[in-house]
Amino acid sequence: MKIKLIRTGGFLPITREAEADVNLSDKQVKQLLEIIQHDRIPSPIKDGHYYLLDIGTKSTLVDLEKVPDEYKALFSKLKDDLKIIK
Amino acid sequence: MFARLMESGNKKIADMAVRSNFRSFRFRNDRIFFQKASLHDKTILGLITKEPGKKSMQMEVYDCKQKTDLATATLIWDTKNNQKITSVAGKNVIRGGKASWDFYSDLFGRNSIDNKGLMIKQYVHYDKGMDNAYWDGRRMVYGDGDGAVFTSFTSDIDVIGHELTHGVTENEANLNYENQAGALNESFSDIFGIMIKQKYDNQDVKKSNWLIGEKVMVGPRYALRSLKAPGTAYIDHPELGTDPQPATMDKYQNLPNNESGDWGGVHINSGITNFAFYVAAFNIGGYAWEKAGRIWYAVLTDTALVQNAEFVDVKNLTISHAEKMFGINSSESKAVRQGWDEAKV
Repeated sequence: MKIKLIRTGGFLPITREAEADVNLSDKQVKQLLEIIQHDRIPSPIKDGHYYLLDIGTKSTLVDLEKVPDEYKALFSKLKDDLKIIK
Repeated sequence: MFARLMESGNKKIADMAVRSNFRSFRFRNDRIFFQKASLHDKTILGLITKEPGKKSMQMEVYDCKQKTDLATATLIWDTKNNQKITSVAGKNVIRGGKASWDFYSDLFGRNSIDNKGLMIKQYVHYDKGMDNAYWDGRRMVYGDGDGAVFTSFTSDIDVIGHELTHGVTENEANLNYENQAGALNESFSDIFGIMIKQKYDNQDVKKSNWLIGEKVMVGPRYALRSLKAPGTAYIDHPELGTDPQPATMDKYQNLPNNESGDWGGVHINSGITNFAFYVAAFNIGGYAWEKAGRIWYAVLTDTALVQNAEFVDVKNLTISHAEKMFGINSSESKAVRQGWDEAKV
């Protein structure tokens, strides 16, 4: 399946995206999203970046600091591949 | 007693009594005024002065070594030890942090971000190629840029001043970071950021190019923002396209209030209030921080500026403060009105 990492916001609010093909079961996706889902944002960080993970039709606000060890390489690669979307 | 003397048949005594009565009246009223004046009023009237020896900048600089865990960053410089450092980004934030601290201290008697001497904490080399700088509520954090579109976000003093001002705003009006209040939050950061750079470079309103982040953006024709001409900081950039900031209220962009919509366009619509400030400062003339800056600082620290303020609230407050400081029909208050008129607020 395809997953897409989207980074938004920042001092200059631009959007960057990167995609990857992954072999994950529905159960693994559910577990991953439960772990990395971003806590409710009480007040946005001034000029902060935010990450969304799109899987299928679902878009989830995620906290990359929570990514489990087994997924770190995948998310590191996705971050490296982020490209500006005009 | 004065009444009897003023009615004295002796003209000399009567004149003296009138003058004494007038002086007494003024002293009495001055005393009443100053007894009632708030700390804020006293500050804008220049009555609260720096107390030598009481304030001193406290700063720490940390190297994140391209990681994202701030807790594991290494302290590379602090005011106490004044270590020799090789990191250019580290040197940049020391210079920019000091310029920002001096600006607020020298002009407004402010004691750091919280006006209580808060330690300024700055983190450089955050993440790999991060094209951003941010204020997280306690600290300023800077990335190195991707090297293609952006260089280090420490490259410009105005960006450092912008981030530090987010801290000042948080400790004053604490403007909500969404919609118009959020755009005002951003605008105060841009306005004070540009003035911090102008003061550091001793540039008056004519000499300044009013660009924020011109070194951060790779390429001589690009900057992050223009206060003089919002919407022109970058035009037809191969990666970014064209700067989306409007300069006038009729071009206000209603964007979603979420992470994908820049929280209602806080970095977009700030162009409108930035432009109002630019026009006001330019028409006043001289150094922006001397008059326009004092007016905007008085508003930022005014308890009447509420968290969910809108552009029109800041318009009214800046006009009111300009009139209070310089007079109702003064050229300064007219220039402030012109600023808001040009921005169509």
